[in-house]
Amino acid sequence: MLSFAARRLAVAALLVWAVASLVFLVIHLIPGDPAELLLAQGGVAPDPDSVAALREKLGLDQPLWVQYRDHLASLLHADFGLSMVDEHPIGAEIALRLPRTLELVGLAGLLATLIGLPLGILAALTIGRLPDRILSAAAGLALSVPVFVVGTLAVLVLAQQLHWVPAGGYVPLAKDPLRHFILVLMPAATIALGLAAAVLRVTRSAVLEVLERDHVRAAQARGLPPVTIVRRHVLRNALMPVVTVLALHLGSLLGGTVLVEFVFNYPGLSGYLVRAVEARDYPEVTAIVLVISALFVLLNLLIDLCYVLIDPRVRHG
Amino acid sequence: MTAAALNRRALLAASATLPFLRIPAVRAATPGLLTFGLSSYPPTLQPWANGGTASSTIKLMIHRGLTSFSRDGNPQPELAESWSRDDEKTWVFKLRDARFHNGEKVTAADVQWTFDQIADEKSTAYFRAEMQRIAKVEAPDARTVRLVTKQPLVTVPNWLANFHMPIVSRSSPKGSPIGAGPFVPKGQERGVSIDLERFDAYYKPGLPKLKAIRAIAYADENLRLAALRSGDVDLIEYVPWQAMDAIAGDPALKLDAVDGPFMYLVFNGSRPPFNDARVRRAVAHAIKREELVKAAFFGRGSPLEHLPISESSSFYNADFKNGWHYDPDLSKRLLAEAGHGGGLSCSLLSTAQYGMHKDSAEIVQQHLAAVGINATLNLPDWATRVNLGNRGQYEIGIMGNTAESNDPDGLAAVLDGSLAASYVRSFGLKIDSIIELMEAGRTSFDEAKRRTIYRNLEQVAIDQAPIVGLTWRSQGYAMRKDVAGFSNFPGALTFYSGETFETTTTA
Repeated sequence: MLSFAARRLAVAALLVWAVASLVFLVIHLIPGDPAELLLAQGGVAPDPDSVAALREKLGLDQPLWVQYRDHLASLLHADFGLSMVDEHPIGAEIALRLPRTLELVGLAGLLATLIGLPLGILAALTIGRLPDRILSAAAGLALSVPVFVVGTLAVLVLAQQLHWVPAGGYVPLAKDPLRHFILVLMPAATIALGLAAAVLRVTRSAVLEVLERDHVRAAQARGLPPVTIVRRHVLRNALMPVVTVLALHLGSLLGGTVLVEFVFNYPGLSGYLVRAVEARDYPEVTAIVLVISALFVLLNLLIDLCYVLIDPRVRHG
Repeated sequence: MTAAALNRRALLAASATLPFLRIPAVRAATPGLLTFGLSSYPPTLQPWANGGTASSTIKLMIHRGLTSFSRDGNPQPELAESWSRDDEKTWVFKLRDARFHNGEKVTAADVQWTFDQIADEKSTAYFRAEMQRIAKVEAPDARTVRLVTKQPLVTVPNWLANFHMPIVSRSSPKGSPIGAGPFVPKGQERGVSIDLERFDAYYKPGLPKLKAIRAIAYADENLRLAALRSGDVDLIEYVPWQAMDAIAGDPALKLDAVDGPFMYLVFNGSRPPFNDARVRRAVAHAIKREELVKAAFFGRGSPLEHLPISESSSFYNADFKNGWHYDPDLSKRLLAEAGHGGGLSCSLLSTAQYGMHKDSAEIVQQHLAAVGINATLNLPDWATRVNLGNRGQYEIGIMGNTAESNDPDGLAAVLDGSLAASYVRSFGLKIDSIIELMEAGRTSFDEAKRRTIYRNLEQVAIDQAPIVGLTWRSQGYAMRKDVAGFSNFPGALTFYSGETFETTTTA
């Protein structure tokens, strides 16, 4: 068991390193020069001597392998370095933004589960009848509407027309808890809509599949009340695929909330990554992707642990 | 991303027609606090580097230079209360009794130190190259600065008014420049907002009128607008063109828009076919600019068929107004003369990152096809587009820009082929007469003579087409009705509107 865990950890570390190296290589190979961009804001012609001076200062005049070696060395010291654009410490910025993204994604996951799971069970239990039909149609709709449409409509109606909520933004929890919660709830609910639909669908089909199994039929034959059957004999067995799907979605959301962040002006990690790519801020891009991929790997480890909790057979298998 | 933006635009247009219930804004406004919706979070607030529009606007709150621009586009006294010339190369600036945010007086030594920083070999200052035209900066006493140029240079007061030339205290700690402007930076949430407070010892009595400014970045233009409408912010920059009509008609809001920035074409003049002026002119006459204004800017702009010299400028030449008028037959004749009677193929560089660049490219492509120029679009992200432009890896490029001032010398960056290669001007295209006329214009102090010089220059430009003008585009600020004292500067100076934050009030 221990050697298995050690092997898994080693593979995880290797994966993170491979991602970090690949990103380093790709961002350096695509055209665009951070020094040139930094001095060419607002469509002006930068002075070539200034560009050369800045390239030297940023270490961009060094051969690529030297830059790669220095990059890995600083990563080993858990030092993400400084932003090329304004010399802001990258580690501090990630420490600031990562919790915001985790809060957003976590809240979205929670909402999606709270909505998707019970509705999915309901749809399975009423298969072919009206509730199932309505829920399935609604899920199809929710899945096919892009988040920026939902988000934009929410801003348009709730903020611009009704003036119920602010038009996006972010306020730290310590400053104004209520406003903080409203501001994170809007983007979280927007993400949760599509996610809840995905959870609903998976739950529905998983429950349907389990309902057909012998042990459930036996329970029905014994005359157990339907609530007990679902709670004790169906749900636990049906949860595995649901957890898998939810985890995969949440994992990809770590770096994929950019559209929602953009629509709601939410200063999370994805928006930071996009801006870093646009500015070709090499150390920022590599650091953010490294953190996201490390989290993704970690999340998968956690899911494996969840399996153990849900299904005792995994423990012995 | 772009597909998303396009779909959102269509969606918003459609949804605007829905009859929504309106509840009046209820907002607990702090008296004397103005919230300002920026188009992006400033990538840098270094005083002398060019950090783009948002950064320049914030700099105009924090800093002041020796001179500034007045609404009519001329330099006016700022930290210098007056200036004079001892001879053609010697400028004398008299400083006024002004203070930096740390309480210290603005002295000639600070000005000297500032210019040294800008001219420094390792400096990333936007005006580093221009500073090489200065022979020496002297401080005969604490209130007097003598600036000696290597050649006569008429534009000195103009570039001292630039927002990239503020005077900074020589006792500033490294990395935290101290300015002498109307507002003091108090804190920032990186990527989100910047807080500024009134500087009580600002040298203009009674100013600034506001107690504080909170600048919040809204990168999405629709959200920026929604924030204004919902009352989250009082004032926004970069009003989206498609929303201008609606804002103008909204009783709670007002719009202040001017034609300032311009769109134009640049060429790779280092190789055929665009090293031939006839081919460049053929392009100039092939484009129906009204369609560009309509499609790329929702009618908010105007055709530009000459050099981007504003009609309000004393250097405007009315007879060149339609120098590059739409005439597809003339285009075809010019192409035939240049040996391309059977048409030609080329690449057209723009960017998919900004709608106006992409839309302009698509329309230009259609119009070129109509005269036999088969252009293939290349629409990478902005960073790549800048890189390809600087290296001359294109044949025709779409660009957007603003002149540095309303003086024609402010077009040097766009026209002067003797400068180093840059994506803002044509690549490898040196037209000697333009370079000479540019130099003559900036070294002559005779106003009438300068007008003749720039007239001749525009004539050469119309014939040679070193760049080709496409459209002026409207640049707008929108604000709540109770915001007063803020105004949009005309023409090239629109991005200097931030100077008026010192007179801005809000109810």
